[in-house]
Amino acid sequence: MGLLAVGTPLEWPEAKKVAGHVRSWGIEQLLAIWRNAKGKERDALLWGDEVEYLVVCYDEENRKVRLSLRQADILAALANDEKLLEQGGGVPDVQRGPEKEADTTAPVFHPEFGRFMLEATPGKPWGIGFKDLLNVEPNMKWRRTIAKDHMAKEEYPITLTTFPRLGSPDCIVPSYPVSGPKLRSQYVPDEIANPHIRFPTLAANIRWRRGRKVEINVPVFRDENTPWPFKDPTVNYDLHQWPEDDDVRNGAAKENHIYMDAMAFGMGSCCLQITFQAKNIEEGRKMYDQLSPLGPILLALTAATPIYKGFLADTDVRWNQISRAVDDRTLEELGEKPLKNDRWRVPKSRYASNSTYISQDQRLRPDYLDPDLVIDKDIKQRLLDGGMDDLLATHFAHLFIRDPIVVFAEDLKELDLNKADHFENLQSTNWQHMRFKPPPPGSDTGWRVEFRPMEIQITDFENAAFSIFIVLITRAILSFNLNFYIPIKRVSENMETAHIRDAVSTQKFWFRKNPFSSHQPSKMNGTGASTPAEGSRPPTPFGPVEDEYELMTINEVINGQHSGEGGFPGLIPLVESYLNSMNVDVETRCELARYLDLIRKRADGTYWTTAKWIRHFVRCHPGYKKDSVVDDEISYDLVKAAEQITKAEGKDGLGREMLGRQR
Amino acid sequence: MKLILSTSNIMSGGPSVIRRPIFEKSNTELTSSLRANFTAHQSSPTPTPTAVNGTASPKPSFKTWTTQEGNTLWIPTHTPSPLAEPRESYDITVKLFYRPNIPADRRCVQTREAIDLVLKELGTSSIDLLIVSFPGISFDADDEDSDFDDPQSEPASEQDGAVQDAEDLPEDIDTMITTWRTLEKLHDQKVVSKLGIAEFGCARLEKFLPQTRVKPSVDQINVRDCCVVPKPLILYAKQQKIELLTHNDCTNVLPRGTLREILGSGEHGVGVLAGGALDAERLKGDVEPQWVVKYTAVVKDRGVVESKGYFAVAELREES
Repeated sequence: MGLLAVGTPLEWPEAKKVAGHVRSWGIEQLLAIWRNAKGKERDALLWGDEVEYLVVCYDEENRKVRLSLRQADILAALANDEKLLEQGGGVPDVQRGPEKEADTTAPVFHPEFGRFMLEATPGKPWGIGFKDLLNVEPNMKWRRTIAKDHMAKEEYPITLTTFPRLGSPDCIVPSYPVSGPKLRSQYVPDEIANPHIRFPTLAANIRWRRGRKVEINVPVFRDENTPWPFKDPTVNYDLHQWPEDDDVRNGAAKENHIYMDAMAFGMGSCCLQITFQAKNIEEGRKMYDQLSPLGPILLALTAATPIYKGFLADTDVRWNQISRAVDDRTLEELGEKPLKNDRWRVPKSRYASNSTYISQDQRLRPDYLDPDLVIDKDIKQRLLDGGMDDLLATHFAHLFIRDPIVVFAEDLKELDLNKADHFENLQSTNWQHMRFKPPPPGSDTGWRVEFRPMEIQITDFENAAFSIFIVLITRAILSFNLNFYIPIKRVSENMETAHIRDAVSTQKFWFRKNPFSSHQPSKMNGTGASTPAEGSRPPTPFGPVEDEYELMTINEVINGQHSGEGGFPGLIPLVESYLNSMNVDVETRCELARYLDLIRKRADGTYWTTAKWIRHFVRCHPGYKKDSVVDDEISYDLVKAAEQITKAEGKDGLGREMLGRQR
Repeated sequence: MKLILSTSNIMSGGPSVIRRPIFEKSNTELTSSLRANFTAHQSSPTPTPTAVNGTASPKPSFKTWTTQEGNTLWIPTHTPSPLAEPRESYDITVKLFYRPNIPADRRCVQTREAIDLVLKELGTSSIDLLIVSFPGISFDADDEDSDFDDPQSEPASEQDGAVQDAEDLPEDIDTMITTWRTLEKLHDQKVVSKLGIAEFGCARLEKFLPQTRVKPSVDQINVRDCCVVPKPLILYAKQQKIELLTHNDCTNVLPRGTLREILGSGEHGVGVLAGGALDAERLKGDVEPQWVVKYTAVVKDRGVVESKGYFAVAELREES
């Protein structure tokens, strides 16, 4: 998350008045970008990964671990490290060194929403060269080492999705009182968020627009001694400082759920995101569509989030919690009140699974689209009038049903068509599981697609494995012209399924049975616009959509169905097939085999997901009272264990259920 | 008569994607993509009368979907699919599988013939890497010192019971070198930028290299063994600047029996070759595979395989 413009942010009632203004300028900027860049061709594959860390701070004496709020100090130290700058690294928002053409460029660091978070990316994008792929893991390790080197000795950059006791008393350092004016949370202080004005404003205006605090209820994991029905014992019903303190008295905290009330509980989660540059807009749109159905599969496979606010949850992933943590919908939009002031009912939060497909692909059947998709018709018309095609116009007209949340007064004076600030205002606060990113104006960058559902893993080995797997999948998709289309609503359903505890081994997901286009004799392709040369052929004739997909286990999706001919071949065999068509040297292939093996075995249950391992760790901890409570002592041991696993990667036996026997 | 079998671009033809077990060497890709391409041509483009009186029509005559030019039969009728982007965008690799018991001089002609087919197919005048696979060689990582020449390690295809004959014995270095001279010539003519061999272990490389004028840049090893390549080979290859690449082809990629079955009149055949006296229209004779060539064109800076396919050439000797 980069820092956008600085200025005077409008409070919500003011921001709301100019929302239409911002949207229409955003659309004009989008049209300008689209006109300039729609003909961009033959961009190379470049890609990047983003790793997010929690900065934890150990209190060895009291065997306690807290979140450190020293993000700004750490970033300042990184931005002023001469040696790091010399190697091309640094903090892009402050200062960084120049990218190296030939040499390795040092990684760069970014602030994140949570003031206890840090994000690190490679100093320059990766290419498809297989040697590049092998640099990913060492680079991730380098990033962590650099991050650690700029922290205090009791601090450590840990890659857990959430801090187990975020929102419990005495969980941050330095300590601040809760119930600040921005978040009005009874669990976390305003200081939990990055102090850059954009972030507290974002949180405050989401709350303000919504008319209440955000409301996050996660089902609690019911263990032997968990009181039942479970009433979150940490809820304080007697606060009377803010109007929002009424929320809990009005039933915001649900029975048998862990209750949380601030954006930080969601946006304070760490994930692993991958961004790809496509060769042109067509390929970008195709990748967006084809990766979309893989989102829930990868979410379930990377599950790593079984604890919230000091309790074991009955879910394994972070997704819906983030979704609720930034849900700015009003009661009218939610359908809890008749529509009077608002324009429409909105079925999903701004942070949610995709709702559109966008590729001009003959294989995209109208039946795959959501007939009830909410769009802003005027905006769509403006885009159509501007020359954009229906599918893409629909996509953006859907994103633009939202209000801009953070608006700076200074930016409303003049429309600058050489900028993207107003467009990005809406685009970057639509947090869907895929993001289609137009090129920034005035840059060389091409059309990009971001894959956003994966949860961060404890070790850099795992994070590299999942990153590389996704890269190879995109290459297999483009090479074999694979077709993963299923109705988009089924993808959303899968996203919900992915939350279920141990979904990897207990649940089934909708997935397309045959990913191949029908084999036809190749035709001459004179235009040469597409890769592969034969383009996308319609699988004729169309049968019923329901016959195209079925429920599959994650193992079947990843490793293939065994049921003879015609079963789904599996993502790993597809990747292997792709690799067999490439010239890969033996050492590289052997390294890639390590990564693919991890994914294969996560999928077939040989290795555990991080979530399963963490849950097991808690439940076997001598201090655990089988009452779902993850107390300070367990939390300390868990974070210590995670650090240990990050370092030893299972070689000492710790975490081997997740990692197997590592060499 | 010469038979030229082709797969066309197999990248978007699903069935040829290798399913499990993925680490097995296999000719499934070749055989299944040949079948798929034949089937596709049988049903198009000229509509043959189908379902007469409600019964399934017999297989269309092979003459409707193949083309004879002089003494050459194209199975199926073939139109090249040239590459879409400028030549420099691609990395083109060609692997030529020689057949056993073919005199070196014939093999030299075959090499030129195979390269010409590929160049024409892709609409280009040069290839980046040509790897040749000599029959009978099989690399075995477990056997460090010797190049393990084991006919048993070739998975005999089920239909191919009678093939454990002299087909699978490796050739001597001299025969290989004679063939290599042709490759060196192609290199001189800049038709091929780099040369490669497959399945060579240390011992064979040591015998082979001193006799070459243009050294191989690549030695292809079966992917199954990629994590257990013997140290000495890694070191020797590094020293000789030979890159060790992976593949998952079997050496005897198109045994005679398999070819006969694919083309034959049986249940799994496409009805080019006659099965009995009643198949008056079909071709009679003894079919003998000559060579198989595989080509792959990869868009370099995107890692996308744009075109991949095979040609297989066989001689049909009519019975006198």
